[in-house]
Amino acid sequence: MHLIESIGKTVLNIVRAIGKLALFIFLFFHFLFKPKFYFKNNLKYFTGIFLSSIPIIALTGIFSGMVLALQSFTGFSRFSADSAIPNIVVLTLTRELGPVLTGLMISARVGSAIAAEIATMRVTEQIDALKTLNTNYFNYLVTPRVLSLTLAMPIFVTIVDFIGVMGGYLVSVYRLGFNENMYLVNTIEFLSFSDYFSGVVKATVFGFIISIISCYNGLYSEKGAFGVGSATTNAVVLSSILILVFNYFLTEIFF
Amino acid sequence: MEIKIEKLSKRFGNNHVLKDINLVIEKNKSTIILGKSGCGKSVLLKLIYQLIKNDEGLILYDKKKYVDIDKFGLLFQYGALFDSLTIAENIAFTDFIDDKKNYRNKVINSLNEVGLNYDIYNKYPSEISGGMKKRVALARAIYKKPKIIFLDEPTTGLDPINSDIINELIIRIIRKKKMTAVTITHDIQSALKTGDNFHFLNDGIVEDSGTCKNLLKSNNKILSDFLQGVKKLQRNK
Repeated sequence: MHLIESIGKTVLNIVRAIGKLALFIFLFFHFLFKPKFYFKNNLKYFTGIFLSSIPIIALTGIFSGMVLALQSFTGFSRFSADSAIPNIVVLTLTRELGPVLTGLMISARVGSAIAAEIATMRVTEQIDALKTLNTNYFNYLVTPRVLSLTLAMPIFVTIVDFIGVMGGYLVSVYRLGFNENMYLVNTIEFLSFSDYFSGVVKATVFGFIISIISCYNGLYSEKGAFGVGSATTNAVVLSSILILVFNYFLTEIFF
Repeated sequence: MEIKIEKLSKRFGNNHVLKDINLVIEKNKSTIILGKSGCGKSVLLKLIYQLIKNDEGLILYDKKKYVDIDKFGLLFQYGALFDSLTIAENIAFTDFIDDKKNYRNKVINSLNEVGLNYDIYNKYPSEISGGMKKRVALARAIYKKPKIIFLDEPTTGLDPINSDIINELIIRIIRKKKMTAVTITHDIQSALKTGDNFHFLNDGIVEDSGTCKNLLKSNNKILSDFLQGVKKLQRNK
């Protein structure tokens, strides 16, 4: 009886959480077109997110490209197909690794910060203070963060793609002895717009997922230090899982 | 502004927090709502401020059902200052987010009114003391020149000297600006010093109401126990 009861409770909690999240997403789109808009806040968050994330995504890009070139060489040289390495590097980065790795890194870097900041504001009554000051707290806290990250992610992925290809180029030319011109020509000629576009679409969706999940967890966090910790952990874990799940479905669409 | 509360009730699930509350907050007077922690004081304050909705009953603001909350100011228990903004941006928050540039003199006046000076204008809340934070929060609450100021446990977390400073400031500001004040507290000393009218809340019910004199002479056992408990605690200290 206990087992059935606990299964029932878990199912109810999951359904309740999904409903609450759906309502939260609906509220985001509702307030997106409803004044007041805090433009200065939007710009501030976009700049903040952009500047703080560049070093991390640059490192992600360069090392992913370098490892990809080395690992591809290990496999492809066994059946004399090492000339395909530039194609493999650019295709894997733009279509798959770029958006997914950027999404996971940004979830850890920006998503956790968003959840922790909003949860702390909730615990210390700062969100109540916003309400008493007649401020649309949703447009002040959630909208700038979601918009900023959703718009910044395609730029991040473009940077990761470019730096990753350059990482692959460095390893291929200076470690594996590829001809530098041939490498670049193969990369540019093989890459089609749809490869890049599919990565950008994925990144945009991931940016929305990270920001909305992080804001949701922050805004509905439990009270106290435990609440802030749980909100941060839940934000990162849930957005990382959703990135992997949505990645599959988006890949199916662009397949 | 006068606030009249009639048969007000509020439930959270099975928890009946406020039961049939009737009270009047008189215009230009300082009303104190006393009670133990968890008796429903904060919920009552949030209902009056229109931050949450009541289940039953009425709240009338100068005989009207709705009021613009710009006419209210609230001093939070722990200040609730915005960490990421400077003291000036905190005080002039509504002007700051509306991109108005000319709030400098207004902020300096507000700082002076709470006994602070320009030194902290560009500092962040983490760079000032607890007593100063409370005064900055008070400056933010009065910045928009509200008709009613709500004070949520104004002396919590302060040492006796700073508590006294805050009490004096509250009295001075209320009198000078001819504001109506509503304070929720369990600090008897502070309540007696700043209040005109008192309502004692217990388990979601108004147990007793009146002036300071009436309250101290009250035959209500729960109120007497509460007052004696506080006195005993103070003697032991």
